[in-house]
Amino acid sequence: MAEDLVLDTAIRDWVLVPLSVVMVLIGVLRYFVSKLMRSHQVPDLKVVKEGQVILRARNLRVAAGFIPAKSFRSRKTYFTNEENGLLHVPKGQAQNAQAQMFSDPNLAMDMMKKNLSMIIPQTLTFAWVNFFFSGFVAAKIPFPLTQRFRGMLQNGIDLSTVDVSYVSSRSWYFLNLFGLRGLFSLILGEENAMDDTQRMMQMSGFGFDPSKSLGAEKDGIDIIQHDWALPKLEKRAEDALKKLLK
Amino acid sequence: MAVEGDPRASAKKSPGDDVEDLPIFNADNLQNNIKSIYYSRTFLSIIGGVIAGIWGFTGLTGFIFYFIVMAAASFSLAAKAKFSVHAYFDSWSRILLDGIFGGLMSFVLFWTFAYDIVHIF
Repeated sequence: MAEDLVLDTAIRDWVLVPLSVVMVLIGVLRYFVSKLMRSHQVPDLKVVKEGQVILRARNLRVAAGFIPAKSFRSRKTYFTNEENGLLHVPKGQAQNAQAQMFSDPNLAMDMMKKNLSMIIPQTLTFAWVNFFFSGFVAAKIPFPLTQRFRGMLQNGIDLSTVDVSYVSSRSWYFLNLFGLRGLFSLILGEENAMDDTQRMMQMSGFGFDPSKSLGAEKDGIDIIQHDWALPKLEKRAEDALKKLLK
Repeated sequence: MAVEGDPRASAKKSPGDDVEDLPIFNADNLQNNIKSIYYSRTFLSIIGGVIAGIWGFTGLTGFIFYFIVMAAASFSLAAKAKFSVHAYFDSWSRILLDGIFGGLMSFVLFWTFAYDIVHIF
């Protein structure tokens, strides 16, 4: 049946708008709370040193073409030398870094705090929506969906002849949850809204980073072929000038 | 809007010359450019959603409208970068495809919202 249901104006005023407003406000609140609660951990000196070594090695790899072969080789030995090269990590130490990262109380607390700050408002809001706003049609989505979505979208409505486009407020909640991410990134600046998955990846990446990427950089430098750009620079300048004068 | 990345990127190869220049990108500028693309797309999805709702698009028409808006956005971004995409970004796909499906959810939300407020009041 595609008849048009006439829906009460009060639903607009008292369901849709307040729900969206509440979700926006909760998002803003969560952003500020997480900013306040962020404990400033003093960065570990060893980790920072390793990070900087990796940066230097990466710069060397990228800009290898700009230095003569001999200097490149001396730098390469400095980094990859088996005895005291900076990138050579003895095996035992590699495992240590990981274990230390995860048992570090500060880091674990931070992760837990972030997870909680994500989960609790979502759960609370969902429970609130279910309690107050169930059992009636809340909105009409402007595009038709198949019958399979009926169970998902029309949670409180027990009539099976109502068009699937008429959804309950639970689905309005989910729609808001996903759609407001873009809005948050606009008003709160720089993706601070719902990147919990990104943050978790970052946090777990810290533990692996030092040991594995040192090895990766070492391999990268070992592999690279030194190709000095100087002999060809004159030809390139000549070509560029020719093109300009054409 | 688009800040020029370090213009040492050269993709020009003249005949007889086999220098392969690694394109060097200033990471900060590239990041900035990508962010501005993301912001413009998000903003346009929201506005497009509200417009689609007010005009009463339903069903497939609405989605087609969304993709038209995204294509117009891509075109304008390319025009703003004076069509020399490689001076500003590292690949075509950034300017053409990035963030289209992220904006889809925001579009649908605001489309539903505006449509309901205006038409099923």
